[in-house]
Order: sequence, then C-alpha cells, then structure tokens
Amino acid sequence: MTQDAPLTPEQIDQALAAELALGLLDGDDARAAQARAADDPVFACAVRDWQERLAGMAEALTPVMAPARARQGIRERLGHSQPPLASDPTARTPWWRGPFGALAGLLAVAATAAVLWLPGLQDAPATPDFQARIMSQDQSMAVMARLDGRDMEVALENGTPAQGRDWEIWWVAADGSAPVSIGLVPRDGVLRMTLPEGLEPSADIRIALSDEPQGGSPTGQATGPVMAMAPLTAL
Amino acid sequence: MNDARRSELETLIARIALGDREAFDALYDATSAKLHAVCLQVLKDRPEAEETLQEVYIRVWQSAARYASNGLSPMTWLITIARNRAIDRLRARGSRPATAPEDAAAMIACTAPGPESATIMAEERRMLDECLSRLADAQAGAVRAVYLEGVTYADLAAREGMPINTVRSWLRRSLLRLKDCVSQ
Repeated sequence: MTQDAPLTPEQIDQALAAELALGLLDGDDARAAQARAADDPVFACAVRDWQERLAGMAEALTPVMAPARARQGIRERLGHSQPPLASDPTARTPWWRGPFGALAGLLAVAATAAVLWLPGLQDAPATPDFQARIMSQDQSMAVMARLDGRDMEVALENGTPAQGRDWEIWWVAADGSAPVSIGLVPRDGVLRMTLPEGLEPSADIRIALSDEPQGGSPTGQATGPVMAMAPLTAL
Repeated sequence: MNDARRSELETLIARIALGDREAFDALYDATSAKLHAVCLQVLKDRPEAEETLQEVYIRVWQSAARYASNGLSPMTWLITIARNRAIDRLRARGSRPATAPEDAAAMIACTAPGPESATIMAEERRMLDECLSRLADAQAGAVRAVYLEGVTYADLAAREGMPINTVRSWLRRSLLRLKDCVSQ
C-alpha cells in the first residue's frame, strides 16, 4: 500500500479502462469514460481487453445447472414455443414449422382465392366451416373435429387413451402464441362446445392432441408427448 | 476456450440474431450452467440468480444482432452480460442508486481482433490465475471481490478501513500489476 511513482498517462488510461470494465466508476466519471469508449477506439479496445482478461475469473467458476423452470420462464417471456408440446420426438424440425405449416399456408391461400373469386360465395357467412381429422401415424388413434361457426364438435373415431390418461385437445395458432387447451377427447360420444373468446377459426389453425394425466394437463400447457396434429381445413 | 468452441458459439449467436430458436436453445444448453454460476457468485441467492439468468438470456436474444460489432469473444460477451445484470440487481437491493456497469460491453467501439490477438488473449486468460496468485493476498482478493461480487470502492474502503482515494489508487496499481503479469 505504499505510494509508488505516479502513474504514466498510459497507465492512467489502462486503469480507467479497467475501472469501466469493472463498473467501479460512478456518475460523471462513468459517463465520461463511457463516452470516451464510444469515441476512442484505442480506449475502447483497452476496455474490451480488460473484459476478456477478467472474464477468465468467471470461466474458472464451477458450472451450476439452473432448474428447468428457468428455461421455461425465458421461453414464456419471449413468447416462444411452449416446449413440452414442442417436443414431438418424431419431428426433427419444430412441429409447428413442419409440413403441416406449409399445408395450412396453402389451404389458407386456396380458401382466400375461393372466397374472392368464386361467384356466389361472396354472400357466404363470414366464418366458413372447418374440420380437422387428427390421426396418429399408424392410424391407431383418430379424432374428428368439426366447426360450424363457433360451435365445435369433437369425436373419437379410433383408439382409447390408456388407463389413467386422457387425450387433451389443443388449439394452435400460427403466430407462435401459447397453444390453448380446448378440452379432452371424450371416451365415447361427442364433445360439443362453443369456441372461447379470442380463438378464431381459420385455415392456419392446427389442432393437436397430447397424452396427459387423467383430467388433463395439470399445468395448462401440454406436459405429455404430442400424439398427432392436423390443420383446420375449410369445407 | 478453444477455437472450435468459440466458432461454434459465434455461429449460434449469429443464428440467434436471425431469430433462430433452436440455436437459442443450443446456446442455453451450452452456456447456462456457467452463467448461472456467475449470477450465483454475485448474488449468493438462488431465486435471484435464477431470475437474473432469465433476464440474461432475454438480453442475449434481443441483442445478438449487435454481438459481432463489439469484438468480444462469445463467452466473454455472455459472461459480461451475466455479471453486469447480476451486479445491477445486487446494487438495486441497497438504497444505493444503481450505477452498474450497464452494458458498457455493448457500447465499446473496438473492432474485432485478428486471430493473432485472439490467441494472445487466450494466453492471457491462461496466465490469469497464475498472476493473481502472484499478487499479495489482499490485492488478489480485492480484484476477485470487485469482479465476482460487485464490490465497490466504498465497500473496499469500509472493509480495509482506508479513505476511498487510497483504496482506489491501491486497486488501480493491483490491476496494472495484474495486466503487466498476464501480458508478459
């Protein structure tokens, strides 16, 4: 702690660069140093070099895994995918970007073209009717969903959820917003419902089924694997 | 960090800048445990570290497009964001107004180094531990505490029972000695 010879101008610059990199400056000093870093490339590089140098201390820390909910929190805050539903093991690309997406896009174009160009359809109701047949690849599970205006019917055509499990129905919009649960596939008979506010039928909506604990996902987001998905097709 | 890993992380950041969520996931897998350790080291509080980690990756997603222009190695860029965020939060705890090193990293106008200086930088990293151990214990401890725990000159002055100006001069000399040692 003895006082040595005064610092040279180069040393003073280096020390200031280190202080800026470390966040040791306050108020006017901090603002002046930041302004200098923005204007003076030599000083800016000195700051950058200090950041590199000091980061070695952080790199030496033992990594600590963050809980899985941290990643989920980030995704939600960025409005990204809802990951449990996104983890369709059969799809290499995220499922919402798969062929269904392209198909839905084509259907949307076709539907628009039909409405615009076909005479006689001009007076058709604003909401066309749609259906989606959601089938597993081996066809052991098949569910039919039909929309008449905002009235929806869902019926099981083939297969049965395992004991203690239910198949949950998800409304998946193309904008990447969170899939919305619209109920459970009935084990027999037909589920009839009116679409909740905010869900607008269109050809770029997809209907997905996930395998969930009996009574449906406990979290409000799919927790089980996505078994199948299909776009709404205009009738 | 070897060149392959560096270039892998740079590629991921470049893809994230284009909005690639898979690349974002891959970057998270590759780096989150380290950045979480940084947040924990600064904050010493798990829930706060976890919350800060989320802010860090949101920041990464939002500012990936500006990464290439700052000339930092990818890991240093990430560590710097994590450290500065954590210190922001640490300082916001007290009544002290937050005067954290808020994204000085993003503002610097140093163009990217050539491969040669990247190699020199890597060598300096390897020397860092060695050189810290050559400083007096109190000096090395102060440098670590300032970087990894967000300690300020005022904290150091209180801790060492010295005036702030004396502490500042002492720490500056410690830092210069450290730099001389690693750049030998």
